Amino acid sequence: MLSLLKIEWMKVKHYRTFWLLSLLYLISLYGINFIAYRIQDARPKKNDMANLLIGNPPFQFPEVWKTVSYMSSFMLFIPGLLIIISLTNEFSFKTHRQNIIDGWSRHEFIVVKMLLTLILAVVSTVAVFITAICFGLFEGGSDFSIENIEFIGYFFVQAISCTAVGLLFGLLFKRSGIAIGVFFLYVVVLENMLAGLLNKYVYNSGRFLPLETTDNLIPFPFLRNIVNPYLTVTDPLLLLVLSAVYLTIYYFICLKKFEVEDL
Amino acid sequence: MLNNVLTLTNLTKYYGKILALNNVSFSVPEGSVFGILGPNGSGKTTMLGIVMDILKPTSGSFTFYGQPGHANMRKQIGTLLETPNFYHYLSGERNLQIAAEIKGKGHDQVDEVLKKVDLLERKTSKFSTYSLGMKQRLAIASALLGGPKVLVFDEPTNGLDPVGISEIRTLIQRLALEGKTIIMASHMLDEVEKVCTHVAILKRGNLLTAGDVDEILVNDEIVEVSAANSLLLATVLKEMSGYNNIKQVDNDFHLLYPPAKADLEAINRYCFKKGVVLTYLRLKKKSLETKFLELTNQ
Repeated sequence: MLSLLKIEWMKVKHYRTFWLLSLLYLISLYGINFIAYRIQDARPKKNDMANLLIGNPPFQFPEVWKTVSYMSSFMLFIPGLLIIISLTNEFSFKTHRQNIIDGWSRHEFIVVKMLLTLILAVVSTVAVFITAICFGLFEGGSDFSIENIEFIGYFFVQAISCTAVGLLFGLLFKRSGIAIGVFFLYVVVLENMLAGLLNKYVYNSGRFLPLETTDNLIPFPFLRNIVNPYLTVTDPLLLLVLSAVYLTIYYFICLKKFEVEDL
Repeated sequence: MLNNVLTLTNLTKYYGKILALNNVSFSVPEGSVFGILGPNGSGKTTMLGIVMDILKPTSGSFTFYGQPGHANMRKQIGTLLETPNFYHYLSGERNLQIAAEIKGKGHDQVDEVLKKVDLLERKTSKFSTYSLGMKQRLAIASALLGGPKVLVFDEPTNGLDPVGISEIRTLIQRLALEGKTIIMASHMLDEVEKVCTHVAILKRGNLLTAGDVDEILVNDEIVEVSAANSLLLATVLKEMSGYNNIKQVDNDFHLLYPPAKADLEAINRYCFKKGVVLTYLRLKKKSLETKFLELTNQ
């Protein structure tokens, strides 16, 4: 396993696009939280009525775990994009063929890419964890607390779903342009649109669509006291189980497709 | 006893409705230089692709040294299939390091194989900056990594200049002398004739023939003669025996002999005795091209 990862590392080590995007991604994780921070920071802090409506300040412990996980999840299309690039590059250079010819099994090739989805999700999660601690400590007003830290775990589930879907789209569409285009449209618009329709007409079932499922693990963190009564709360355990089912399906399709079809 | 390196059994491949390979069976003996000959689109690359597990056969099977194909087996084979496939953003050297790593070989051989194909000086340049010929040579270098006993080359001289072509030919001949088994697909007949010991001929997915190159690509001989008095020459030649066929081309006559049967001295003496002085006498091997066209036009 380690030797497989070493080879994947050799492929990516000198690939500038990958590192540039990764760097900008990490900066943006901080950046998107900073934007949210600036907006909520403009609230009237000494007004009791306002505080009652808003609830605990979103960037204080323990709320900060929820807030940073939620905000950062908007950036998750980037690791998905990185996976798509990594896979479709192989297709356009035909190096997926060459790796097999040189002596990898088809299984090994696709398993390394799956490992890459895991690694990107883990790295993203660690970055979000650190970002949350930084914002929590910077905001002050409360002691460090690990209450609500499960949201970092939920973020990980959401991250790996995104990278796994990226892998699946890369494998289905093979060419980077179309794969990236469809991936973005699906993640940003199409699934939300479909979820909205299903939620309205089919017993609120849109929330169980693949990415909605993981998305709903981390509910909207702001203005809790106002929005809470109107949100359908779904049992996180149910969502986690469903996420696991979806992940299994993504990986199963990737494995089968790559092992059976002509390359 | 000679072992078979590769044995194909009833290999068939459909791309949708298109039959790319039709029930092909043959064996490649150890130590041979085995040419797979066929025009473009005859199924050469499809066949090698199946053997390398990048294409799945519709039916049929193959074995390497009697074993079904397996990833570890491919590590012991040096292969160049169709086009050089490398990471464009990496240097030649780094690309070969990846190949060596996959094959489970050390990186120390990278410089050695780069030197063999004359790319050592450009090893740190990105693959995307290489010329077509350099890319091809890098692919050949990659196939040589780890000193494999079996080499598979698909159109190895593609994109090379005449010097490069002759270098690759020499390289292949040297590898063959070292006792390596070489399987080479090509549509270049002279390439196959010059280096191969065995040949299989494919046409539209069908195996026309396979076997020893001397038996399959037997060269008929053509003797071209002409004289000042062609009318007299015609009558004299018609009385002469030994050839299979005679053809007049402008003022020349072409006599078709079976392989190694033409005797120029005898022809010259015969004509002179009959009162015809030849102005032109030349032995020509029937071109392989003609032979190949004959074979594939059946």
